[in-house]
Amino acid sequence: MIWQFDFIILALALVCAVASISLKDLLSAAIVFGAYSFLMCLLWTEMGAVDVAFTEAAVGAGVSTVFFIAAVLHTSRQVKPRRHGRFFYKVIGGAAALVIGGILLAASADFPTWGDPASPASTHVSPHYILHSIPDTAVPNIVTSVLADYRGFDTMFETSVIFVAGLAVLAILGRFGRRQRDEEPAEFAAVPIAGQSPIIQTACRIFVPFMQLFALYVVAHGHHSPGGGFQGGVILAASFILIAISYDLRTMLGRLRERLNMLFASLGVMIYAGTGALCLLMGANFLDYSVLHHILPATSPIMARSHGMLAVEVGVAFTVMAVMVLIYVNIASHGKSDKGL
Amino acid sequence: MIDAIVVVLFVVGLLSFFSTTIGILRFPDFYSRMHAAGKGDVFSSVAILLGLVVYHLRHPSVGGTLVAIKILMISLFIFIASPTATHAIIDAGFTAGIKPWSKDENRPEGEGGQ
Repeated sequence: MIWQFDFIILALALVCAVASISLKDLLSAAIVFGAYSFLMCLLWTEMGAVDVAFTEAAVGAGVSTVFFIAAVLHTSRQVKPRRHGRFFYKVIGGAAALVIGGILLAASADFPTWGDPASPASTHVSPHYILHSIPDTAVPNIVTSVLADYRGFDTMFETSVIFVAGLAVLAILGRFGRRQRDEEPAEFAAVPIAGQSPIIQTACRIFVPFMQLFALYVVAHGHHSPGGGFQGGVILAASFILIAISYDLRTMLGRLRERLNMLFASLGVMIYAGTGALCLLMGANFLDYSVLHHILPATSPIMARSHGMLAVEVGVAFTVMAVMVLIYVNIASHGKSDKGL
Repeated sequence: MIDAIVVVLFVVGLLSFFSTTIGILRFPDFYSRMHAAGKGDVFSSVAILLGLVVYHLRHPSVGGTLVAIKILMISLFIFIASPTATHAIIDAGFTAGIKPWSKDENRPEGEGGQ
């Protein structure tokens, strides 16, 4: 850990954070917020948390910035002119922020120093994972084995949370009903496909297959290198969003039908929970993959845990990809999912 | 000898990053700033990445070569993606109706240099 490097990154992150809440132009604020996420990603890489940094780069700096920009483009670009609050409220707000901030700063002095081998986290449970990950599960990337096996129950609900987020976006923005469906064919014929210039379209067309291949690699290789279902799913979703931005939302929906996309979102959660339920059916605990060696050919109980993790990661990737695409489609089209950005 | 190549590539990259920054700050309007940002960004990041490739090939090993190939692929990606992004931004600016700066007229309000 190089403290000068940390210091510069943290100072820049602070500048970005203050700028993104004080800028009046919301588009600039969204972009500055993306820069803030990327600085945090650098910080995590520097601290050795590469999986977290990967997620932050894909979700925080990548897809969520696109969501923000799409939302800004479809609502308003300027901050609503604020009535000047009364001085009294400003004083109370400032005082509360100062007091809470002071308490937090005082409490941070009690934290163990970074990487302290005598801290509770490093003496209690971490050594168990570090010592047992390879003998137990044959997975060298301990983050994956903790995420998908030792704490698989947690991750199942993380996946469900993402699924519920997709449902919430659909419930708020989505427009259903027969009228909408009847109008669609006429609209399809009336609106020409706008899209971007041919240069952008060609470059994006070249990139999309490589992005998807890389996403599959990230999902499947999460056992041995940083990555996994969440990161791979986001990259897959990014490839579809790239098609929607460079061509048209309708072109993208032609490749990935909305109905199919929703099916993928629920299929992912079902794969995850189904793997757990299968273990339950075969007489072991929920998500105890080692019992799966009875049905997987030529595997030991240890390798079965590794394969079970892969199945679960695939489920996560399905849900994350589908929900990210769903959120983008609904934000970019006011829920009608017909026109482009 | 190989270290010298690495240092030269890094210095070239950093110098051109520096001139890119000066260009963004000093050029008069949107288009010329993007001209500085687009070209300088691609050249300097590719130069630094090539320096890293050479650095990893100093001592021949399987792991080092693998990392070098990955960095080469990243620089190829930047070589295609970054000019496309610059084109997209300029295209969007043109569509939004930003007028280019010219010497004869007065500088447009809000578009001029600081």
